[in-house]
Amino acid sequence: MIGAISIQLQISGSSVQTTVRMCYHFSRPKRLPQMRRNWLGCSPTRFKPKNAVPRHYGNIMYDRRVVRGNTYAKHILPTTAQPDPAEIRRQQANRRRAIARKQAREQFRPNTPEALEGRKHTDVQTELYLEELSNIIATMDIECQTDPFLDRPATPLFIPAKSGKDVETQIEEGELFDFDIEVQPVLEVLVGKTIEQSLLEVMEEEELACLKAQQRAFEELRNNELAEVQRLQEMERRHNEEKERRIAQQREVLRKEKEIAEKIAARAYTQQYLAGLLPAVFTSLRRHGYFYNPVEKDIETNFFPWLMDEVNNRVERRYTAREILDSKRH
Amino acid sequence: MAGALTDPTRAPVAFGRRAVPQLFGELLRAGAAARLRALTSLCDLVHEPDRLHQAVTGGYLKQLKVLFRDEDPSVKAKTCELLHLLTSHSIGRQAVLASSLLPPLCQLLDDSSFSCRRNVHRVLSRLALLPAGAEALLSLVSKLMLKLTKEEDEEVQLLLLSTLTHCSRLDALPGLASDGVSLLGRKLSHRSSIIRREAAAAMMALSVPMDGKRQVCEDAEVLPVLVGLLRDKDVEVQANAAGVIMNTVIITTGKQRCLDLDVLPVLLGLLSEKHGDDDEEEMKKRRKALIMYVLRALTSLAEAPNGLRLLLEQLPLLEKKAEAAGPDQDIRRATQTAIQVITWTP
Repeated sequence: MIGAISIQLQISGSSVQTTVRMCYHFSRPKRLPQMRRNWLGCSPTRFKPKNAVPRHYGNIMYDRRVVRGNTYAKHILPTTAQPDPAEIRRQQANRRRAIARKQAREQFRPNTPEALEGRKHTDVQTELYLEELSNIIATMDIECQTDPFLDRPATPLFIPAKSGKDVETQIEEGELFDFDIEVQPVLEVLVGKTIEQSLLEVMEEEELACLKAQQRAFEELRNNELAEVQRLQEMERRHNEEKERRIAQQREVLRKEKEIAEKIAARAYTQQYLAGLLPAVFTSLRRHGYFYNPVEKDIETNFFPWLMDEVNNRVERRYTAREILDSKRH
Repeated sequence: MAGALTDPTRAPVAFGRRAVPQLFGELLRAGAAARLRALTSLCDLVHEPDRLHQAVTGGYLKQLKVLFRDEDPSVKAKTCELLHLLTSHSIGRQAVLASSLLPPLCQLLDDSSFSCRRNVHRVLSRLALLPAGAEALLSLVSKLMLKLTKEEDEEVQLLLLSTLTHCSRLDALPGLASDGVSLLGRKLSHRSSIIRREAAAAMMALSVPMDGKRQVCEDAEVLPVLVGLLRDKDVEVQANAAGVIMNTVIITTGKQRCLDLDVLPVLLGLLSEKHGDDDEEEMKKRRKALIMYVLRALTSLAEAPNGLRLLLEQLPLLEKKAEAAGPDQDIRRATQTAIQVITWTP
């Protein structure tokens, strides 16, 4: 950024010209704004054209009536053309108060007293060096140009200044602590814990193995006894079966014997019965006439009935005849 | 606290009593990666009994249910791992059973991610150790049997087998109903001895009820394999196989079949086997089971006439064994019972 800095010093005297700030009256149309005269009475333009109306034109940029830049700190002109009567009154009061204050201040300011009789105040240079007091303000224009930005260099290492005394010390081998002695409790704990843990585990395993062995022994015994029990059971069963079978056999034998005895008795009886059977049969048959002489039978069966029938017939006829005769007789 | 986390896979843990609640709160709020970190920290914390107690009694288990349905498989796997650690203590087990976490857990059995399934199996096998847990898992037995046929990994098979063993010890019927005998029979000839041992143990549990015994006898392959297992190198496998045989020969068909397979000399051989370091406690304990089972099997076999004949000849051996047993009450009792049965006459 390029900026021009101009420094302007203005020394204002003790007497202040108060410019009456009136609100802006626009009385003349289309005229360039007139610059007011500065306090010396010279207008900024040195060269006046001869027949020009003494008009004082000024740079608009330097006119105090033109508001430039930030407005937050500027004196704001009221918008209305007519000032508020209250405003006017307030301003007048302010002015009166300012004047009064100034007068009061001047009253109390101690001035140098007047010179006595025969004396006179003069100005005397008391300083060592002469100073030229002039109206012309010595101004100087200074310009500054910044270079394009460079990289910020690295902060140099801050090495504080050495202060104090230099002292050295060296720790020898065995002075600070003895590793072997110090490490012992640590090692003891480590090794002890590990061994304890492993002993516990080994004991647990042993216990388990013991339990297992006991279980196995028990199982074997149990199997054994079970087998024995079963064998005895089996034996018992077989004996029972055997007994049953024997009993059944015996019963069978008895039954058979009984049957045989019955059979023998029956046989004897039948034999005896049948011994006298044959003659009895024959006798009975003969008695019943099953053995017959066929001729005789035939004669008996066929001839005799016929004969008898014939005889009967003849006798019937004779009888019938006799009957008839008997009936005729009467 | 430094801004950067010391371990980027774990969430920061609050001090003292706030640790567990804060981590669970973070589980609810946070995004996927943060949830994984919180779960990892929780898994670390829960090893300690106090924290476990706090986690269990604070009622946080319901939140885990939501996490089961998460999309990220590692989150699901970590949740199951957390449950696995919780079930290592009895209160944890009881809490898990009481909080109805089982049905969503069982759905995870069919999950696509392997680590998730493995952790679920771990949880189930731990739960089965508790009788109440075994009871709760009984309904799953058929599903687990199916898994047994499909799974290839040994560890998972092992876990499945142990779960099935425990469940079948409680009640063998579901296992038998889902054709457990033939499945396990196939596993008996697996190349890994651990799996053989577990399969034999499961078979022993299954052969306790009568139905199981009958099935073992009916299945044509199982008994010969078992007799073969008696000659196995591992003591435990031998013991378990002897146990199955012990159970099977109780019924008459079992006796017949085992005698047909010529099992007596093998059993007697097992009895009189001597190891170089017989005084070693561990070996003695393990052999004890074997000896007991063998003795019981012999006792049962002595009830069959063929067996009786053979065993009468071996009687002095048994008497010697009875004396040699010494302070061990069980073995002595078993041998005496055996002798009694052998010398019994009607």
